[in-house]
Parts: sequence; structure tokens; C-alpha cells
Amino acid sequence: MRAAKVLQGQKTVVVTFGGGARDEETFAPEGQENIPHLMKELIPQATFFTQVVNRGILGHYVATASLATGIYERFDNFADIAPENPTVFEYFRKGLGRPVNDAWVIAPSNGFNRIGQSAGGAFTPGFGARVVLPKHLLAAALGKISTNTAGLEFLLQDNYEDVLFTPPSVQNQLQLSKLTEMLHLSADDFAHHATTLSSADELSVYVMRQLMRQFAPSLLWITLHDMDVAHTGAYSLYLEGIRRTDRLCGEIWQMIESDPEYKGRTTMLILPDFGRDSDFSPSGNGFQHHRTGDPLSRTTWMMAIGPHIRQNRTVDRPLDSVDLVPTLGAMMNFATPMAKGRPIVEVL
Amino acid sequence: MITPSELQVESFARYPSQARSFAVANLPVFKRMPLILVSLELRQAIQYDWCFPAEREQLSQQLELLRRMDAASFDALMSPFSVIQLPSELRAMDWVNQPQQFSEQLTAYLWSQHQIDRYHEAAQEYQQYLHKTVEEKPVATPRWTIVAIGKGIQETELPLFRRLLAQGTLFTNVDPTDGLEVLLAEMKSRTQKYPLEYGHWYIEGGEPHGGAESVQGLTVMSYAKLAPIAKREFALLNQFTSQSPGGKAGVEAVSSYVASLKPDDLGLKGTSADDVLRHFETNVLTQGAGCQIYSTTFVQWASRECLHRAQPLTLFARFATRQTSAPMEQLLARDPLQQSQDPEGSLIDADMGAYYTWINQSRLTGADQSRFLVWFEGHRIACAVSPSLPRGTTSTASANMLQVLDWMS
Repeated sequence: MRAAKVLQGQKTVVVTFGGGARDEETFAPEGQENIPHLMKELIPQATFFTQVVNRGILGHYVATASLATGIYERFDNFADIAPENPTVFEYFRKGLGRPVNDAWVIAPSNGFNRIGQSAGGAFTPGFGARVVLPKHLLAAALGKISTNTAGLEFLLQDNYEDVLFTPPSVQNQLQLSKLTEMLHLSADDFAHHATTLSSADELSVYVMRQLMRQFAPSLLWITLHDMDVAHTGAYSLYLEGIRRTDRLCGEIWQMIESDPEYKGRTTMLILPDFGRDSDFSPSGNGFQHHRTGDPLSRTTWMMAIGPHIRQNRTVDRPLDSVDLVPTLGAMMNFATPMAKGRPIVEVL
Repeated sequence: MITPSELQVESFARYPSQARSFAVANLPVFKRMPLILVSLELRQAIQYDWCFPAEREQLSQQLELLRRMDAASFDALMSPFSVIQLPSELRAMDWVNQPQQFSEQLTAYLWSQHQIDRYHEAAQEYQQYLHKTVEEKPVATPRWTIVAIGKGIQETELPLFRRLLAQGTLFTNVDPTDGLEVLLAEMKSRTQKYPLEYGHWYIEGGEPHGGAESVQGLTVMSYAKLAPIAKREFALLNQFTSQSPGGKAGVEAVSSYVASLKPDDLGLKGTSADDVLRHFETNVLTQGAGCQIYSTTFVQWASRECLHRAQPLTLFARFATRQTSAPMEQLLARDPLQQSQDPEGSLIDADMGAYYTWINQSRLTGADQSRFLVWFEGHRIACAVSPSLPRGTTSTASANMLQVLDWMS
């Protein structure tokens, strides 16, 4: 089942936050207490980019899709549609002739289920990434077992971006039963393990671990979402989400470093999709939303860590969100002809 | 489809009575505006019957200023909006009678076309021009905002008021005895001294203090009263969604439906005398996110809207604890007043809420003379921002609440 090796066995893990995070709750001096793992464990090993500017639509699905295509997508953030432009997964698989299990996306909510494969016709269907929605897996597992599963609903939280709007349920491209079989997950074990978790993002990281063990994909993309609880206006819950995300980023790197398939050959890139509104933007309400398009809501950061990445370096020049795809292409040796942006030379 | 220049008196036939008169009186200005701007102005104008006095005055002053401008200056001011091209579907909308829906569609369009920054820039320039040019009416007395946080919380190790410290004086030895009563007495005194319609407010995260509701001239809002109304809102929303094709409704449809809800729909009963307040309460619940489920968000958002719209002389915002977190489906279904509480989280929320309340007060006229006090209710710590007090200092002197208020005066 293991994927054959790509160029020199190199692998890439992309961690995005599908809930914007502001500097002042993360890397600004007053926010650093919320991210001890990023600050103390990862930054010393990483090249850190202090300014990544997102010039697109500030909705989580459309922004994450833009990160994945390298072009600012323009579709309705809440619609069940695929990105118009080719995704990095298609460039990767077609360009390097990679099998289907070598590119995976672990997506946070219903809306993201189409992110693996573009709809624009530039690529024939079939080169996309496999997309797994851990909450669907859990829901399916809960439906199969007879034990009492009350209390696990919090792991199925889908969307915070409009708290009065629940996205329609979607049919994942991959049959759930097939997926659980592929991951060697028994419904009982999965549901039982879920009882030990405290959030939807923890569930995503658990599924990520299973994917790494079963398929060791060369391109693995996970979007964490807990911090988007900020939309409810409860600052304490937003901070809690950031702290959990920080801990999970540390765990993901530990997973990489402790897995022989990944250790020493994996580059991890961590970046929020964008920020959140400034406290001082009159048309916004501070951390709660990302609607004003002010500089703080558009500007975030990125961390790169891995064997070929210079350690403990800070880069202050501004990057563009759409630089990610050409950078991945340059790192992994595949072409990304339609992507905008430029490869980030500091990580090549 | 009509253009702004084709507006007529009849165009406003479906407006509420005062809104209609206001729109007709300002028709010549509206006819000269580009569609984007006139729709924004009409979004306010159509609500005129339920606007606060401060909003009405502001709107009238702005339109009067525009009316008096010469053609060249007027066109120059409008040009950043005029150059933004709109598609025919948007122009065909009923932007006169449904300016809110138009605005939602417009925003979605501007985001999708990557023109939102350009639009925000134009809107900011326009606002700055009006702010600079419209003569500010001095406030009758410096504004006071008092925020009490941590109701019912016995102790904490959280460092409070960190964001406000640079702005004012931190008092660490305030005698909490009768502190709440002293603050409410100050509210009452100001209400009597400076009578002003919707000029004095008390926004409460739980049940209002018994002494407040009888104060003449004090507008009282509480989460305890409005939480059942929010439940009604969710019930109506569920009904709307289930009756939509396939039992699903898109986000725009949901937004438009919620925005269309009126006080009577939500069961907010009252008289014509409190019509303005009931509409304000409805707006808080239908336009705010999270204020329906968390009382801390309610107090923060209601205070923001109150300061922004009513521009009060006095605001007392009192945060209480909020319910513990849960999946959204549960939060929308259960009674928030009957759940276990999250005291520590509530205090963090309220601390940030106090800071945002200070920011919002700072945006109003006379900000340099405004007073702001935040107090950890029942405890010895408070932070006061006032031109009479030094900034960024800590006072360990023993004081009671009356003395703190006196030093702030």
C-alpha cells in the first residue's frame, strides 16, 4: 500500500489554519504565551516568514482553495463547488506520475470536500487528492456501533463562519466504508478513540496519523479549524483554539520525526489562511470576524521546517499567499504552470 | 430597473411614514448619488422611524452638507464610488425597497471581483470627509462608560485590564463594599442631570439589578430578557430552512430572512413608545453573531451597537457569566439560561469586551473628555481612563468607589 518514493523520497506536509489567527494572539509579544510549541520547539528549527499577504476573498474555504491552486479563486465561499483552477495535488500527481494514495487532504468541514480536484477542465479528472473529512468518518463509525456515543457531538462541529447557517451535507468523493477499510479503522476502535479527544482538530490529527501509517503520502495537507470558534465572539474560546492548534502543530512535527517514512525527508509548512480584523477597524468587531479586508485581516505568517530549510531564520519581506503552490512545485520538482505567485527562494 | 437619477417621490411609497418623508425631503441629493452610495444611504433611511435621535441628526446633517455642495465638489466626492462598475443583475435589484439585501449582494460581488478593498477605501474617504466637514455638536457633558466584569466570580489569577493599562490608572485597592450601588447611583444622577432620549443605558449580561429598572430615563437591555427571544429567532430560522426547497437554504437566503425579522415576529411585544428600542434589540439579535448564545458576546455587541448608534452620554455595561461551550447545534437548541457556566472563560471574554467598549467609546465626539471605568465586580481592582488621571500608572492607595469616581470627574 505504501506509495512509491518521489524525488529522493522527499515529502511535504502542509498545515493550514482554516480559522484566521491574528499576530497579536500568536507571534506578537503579547500573543506568544498562546503558542509555546511554535515558539520554543518549532521556530528554532524553522525559517519564519513574518508577512504573508492574502489578497483574495477572506472566507475559509475559498481562501484555502486559493492556497491550493495558487490563484485567488472567486467562488462563493459557502457553495459546494470545486476550485476552478488546477490544484497543487493535480500538478503533483500528473507531473510526477504519482498514484492516487500519494496526495491526501484532511479537511475540516463539509464545504472543503471538493478541494482536492479542480473543476475548470485544465486537467482531466482523476489527478486530484483524496479528501477525507474526519467528521464524516466519525459520523459513519458512530452509525455502525451500538455502544453509547452520546457526548461525541462536539467532534462533529462543522462550521463557525456563519453560526446561523449550516452547510448542506455533502457526499464525500470517497466511500466512507471504503476509507475506514483502507485506514484499517474498526468502527469500534475509532469511536472509542474519539472519546479521548477534545476537539474536531484532534480528530483530524488522529486521522492524519492513520494516513501516514497506511499510505505515507508524499503530499499531505491538513486544515485545522478549531480557532474559528472566534466567530461566536467568545475571546476565551478563540484563545483556547489557538493553544490547541499550537499543541497539535507540535504533535504533527513529532509524528513526522518519529515515523521512519517521514523523518529526515519531510518539509512542513504551517500557515493560517489569513488573519482576522483589527481591533481598530471601525467596520469590524475585532478578532470576531474577518470581513473588513483591513491589513491585519489580510496579513499572516508562515513557518517552514525540514531538513533543507535553514534553521532559526526570520524573513521579513512580504510574501503572497499564492506563492505557496509554485514553491511546492519547485521544492518537489513538478510544474505549476497556471499558478500565480513566485517560488519562495528562502526555502528552496 | 431604475437608476438613482430616476428616483421619484413615488419610489418611496412603501417606506414607513417618517422614513418616506425623510427620503422625499432628500430626494434631490439621492438622485445625484451613484447607485452604490445611494443604496447605503437608503439602508439607513428606510429605518428612519426606528433610528435613535443621534442617528437621525447625523444622517440629516450629512445629507444637508451634500445638498449644499457645488456640483464639482460633489462629483469629486462621489467619483470613487461612480467608477466601480456593477453588473446588470445587481442594478436590476429592488435596491430602493430592499437596500439591505442589495448591500449583501453588493458585498459578495465586490469580494468576488477583488474590488472590496477599493470599495472600503472609497467608503473610508467618504466617511472621513463627512467627519471632517460636518460640524460636531458638543456633547452636553463628558460621556461616561462604566463596565463591570466578573459578576459572581470569587477569585482569579488572570491578569486583568492589560490592554487598558496604558490608557489610564490601575487601582488595586478599591473597597468593593456597595460598589455596584455607588455606580448605579452615579448612573441615576447623570440620568436626572442630563435628561436625553436614549442618552443613558444599562446593558446587563444576566438579570438586571433591581435598582436600575425604575430609573426614569435609563434604557435597560438584558440578556435574561432577550435570550428567549433569541430562541424564537432560531425556531423561525429552522422553520424557514425546513420550508425551503429540499429542506436547505443558502447562506444569502438565511441572512436575508434573518434581516427581515421584525420585533413582532420575534415576540418582542411593546408599545409605540418603545418601538425604537424593540427594533434595536431585534437588530442586535439578528445582526450580531454569537450574542444569541453567549451572554458575554451579547453585552459586548450590544454595547458596541449602543455606542455606535445611540451615542449615549452614559453607558453601564455589566458582564455576567456565559454558558459553557458546546456544539453549535446544541447551543442553538438549548436554553442558555439553564446551563452550567464557564466563569474563567467569561472573565476572559469580558476583559476583552471591556477593551472593545473603550475603543468604541473613543470613536465618539468628545472622546478626549470621555471617562471610562472598568471594575472587577466585588473585587479591589479597577482601571479608570480619564483626562484627570495619569496614564499607565498604578495606584495602590486605599479608596472607595465614590472616591474613584470623584478622581475621574
